[in-house]
Amino acid sequence: MAGKTGESTRSRRTYVPWDSLPASRETIVGIGTVLPVVALYMLIAVVPIAFAFWASLHDIHTLNPEWEWVGLENYSEVMEIATFWGSLWRGIVYMVGSTLIQLAVGLWMALVLNRITRGQKLLTAVVFTAYLIPTIIVSLVALRVFDPAGGVFQALGAEQFGLWGATEAPLGSREWAMPLLILIGSWKFSVFITIFTLAQLRAIPDRFYEAAKVCGANRWQMFRDITLPRLTGIILVVVLLRSIFMFNKFDIIWQLTQGGPGDATTTLPVLAYKTVYTDQAYGFANAIAVVMFLFLLVSAIAYFTLFNPSEEVETTT
Amino acid sequence: MSRNEPPGGVFGLSYNDESRVFEALKLLSTVIIVVVGVWPVYWMAQLAVTEYETVEDAVTIVPTPETVTLDNFAVLANPEMYTYMFNTVVVAIGTIVTVVVVSLIAGYGLARLSFPQKENFARILLIGYLFSPIVIGIPLYQIWQSIGLLGTRIGLIIALSALSMPFAVWLMWKYIMTIPEAHEEAAWVDGASRWRGFRDVVVPQCRPAIIAAALFAFALAWNDFTFAQILLPSTETTTFAPGVLRAMSQAQFLPDAHLMAISLVMTLPPLLFAYFMQSYLLKGFQVRAL
Repeated sequence: MAGKTGESTRSRRTYVPWDSLPASRETIVGIGTVLPVVALYMLIAVVPIAFAFWASLHDIHTLNPEWEWVGLENYSEVMEIATFWGSLWRGIVYMVGSTLIQLAVGLWMALVLNRITRGQKLLTAVVFTAYLIPTIIVSLVALRVFDPAGGVFQALGAEQFGLWGATEAPLGSREWAMPLLILIGSWKFSVFITIFTLAQLRAIPDRFYEAAKVCGANRWQMFRDITLPRLTGIILVVVLLRSIFMFNKFDIIWQLTQGGPGDATTTLPVLAYKTVYTDQAYGFANAIAVVMFLFLLVSAIAYFTLFNPSEEVETTT
Repeated sequence: MSRNEPPGGVFGLSYNDESRVFEALKLLSTVIIVVVGVWPVYWMAQLAVTEYETVEDAVTIVPTPETVTLDNFAVLANPEMYTYMFNTVVVAIGTIVTVVVVSLIAGYGLARLSFPQKENFARILLIGYLFSPIVIGIPLYQIWQSIGLLGTRIGLIIALSALSMPFAVWLMWKYIMTIPEAHEEAAWVDGASRWRGFRDVVVPQCRPAIIAAALFAFALAWNDFTFAQILLPSTETTTFAPGVLRAMSQAQFLPDAHLMAISLVMTLPPLLFAYFMQSYLLKGFQVRAL
């Protein structure tokens, strides 16, 4: 009803300055609405990446303003050092391990939270809090929990279970540091997946399940034929996001282990940070940053070509 | 299967047995979630109200009345801690406001106005997900230094806003698409301008998406360690996460009980946020395409 009247109302409102311009008023307003985003994006993404690329072509001591042109030398050095390949590999282990656990736990929590009847709101709030509290607090609590002196795991008998020695700090052991990092990170970040899937679950009308029940479907069939198809799109998106976020994760690793013991938990972001502030090699660190970015870009494009999450999401609407 | 029989369950179980198994699994799951999800938070709260001499000595599961104390919260009056927390609050509010305002306007533009390269613009925004704080932070250190934003709260707010921007814009765009355009057109017929239509018709209906975007920005800002660590080297502007880590490495004596008291205070706003906003929040995230 409003279509035609709306159009004519709109065109009747003639504001003068726009009309003399070659583009239509709507185009200009439209571009105007996204300008702040473009400005922020330039300032925080395009310029830093360009700057990083430019800096990566130089040899720069972190505290020294003199830039010495070295061309692609930093890159060939990045490809040659063992710490780079080791860190890339550990980063992939951390990314894949974390994402798989988070997907499983996150989905499971969402399905349970969606179905419980008593205390649902409170439990949902507490679960969501895990995602919202500062990472540093998760780290502080985790450091305390896995503290060999008076930590709760020690008290509960990690030794009896034969996990690690009585005086051994699990976060300081080569064997345990990475699995524990994955677990602690998953405690916090599974909730991200829970939030998105729970939102999707809430959007499924009850009548779908009632209809399925009338037709004699059991719970597994309902899950397979009603719930899962509605979740596929969002699962593809959150898996992509979580993989990227986990690959890029710096804070929780730095707070818990600072990449140690040795380099057992040094992933690429930690390596880049160490290169700037410990080795004082600013140009070299930027080369690592650019390689990281390119690695993610290629992986993300591959993921999009394989699964096409955006299309999947749209067709299931 | 005949429609008159009760439907059969999984593994050949009868419908009633299946329901019972399902209920049992649900109960077990709830217990696990409560234990794993609530326990660290409970433990933190418990340590925060226990005298720190006791905390240092032994692990207690339930605090005994004689050791319960609120003294640990006195650490909040410590000017250093107070500054860190104040800065975090300022940065979080600044980020939320920036993200919501900018993404609302851009989301409206993308949803309602046609301009060239609109879809491509949105796709390029997606690449923003790929920027790690560390990848941005390292070059940003020098850029901020040369334009004088290094060590300022504004500098950190800009950096954090830009990081949650792609997500917020997509969320807002898709959400506004679900609001019927006829609502605005009705306002236009009554003589409202496009701006008034946006302000009085679209924005109020966007509340769930605004809350979802605000929550995302809040989580990012409240959580942030990486940017703050790189971009805020000085003490007066340092936020909570890097500040407390530095305090821990410098301080001779910072008891766990005090740390947990601070942590508890930093956990309460997210908890309240999650409790009171969850229905809006879940509605905002119902948007399917990102």
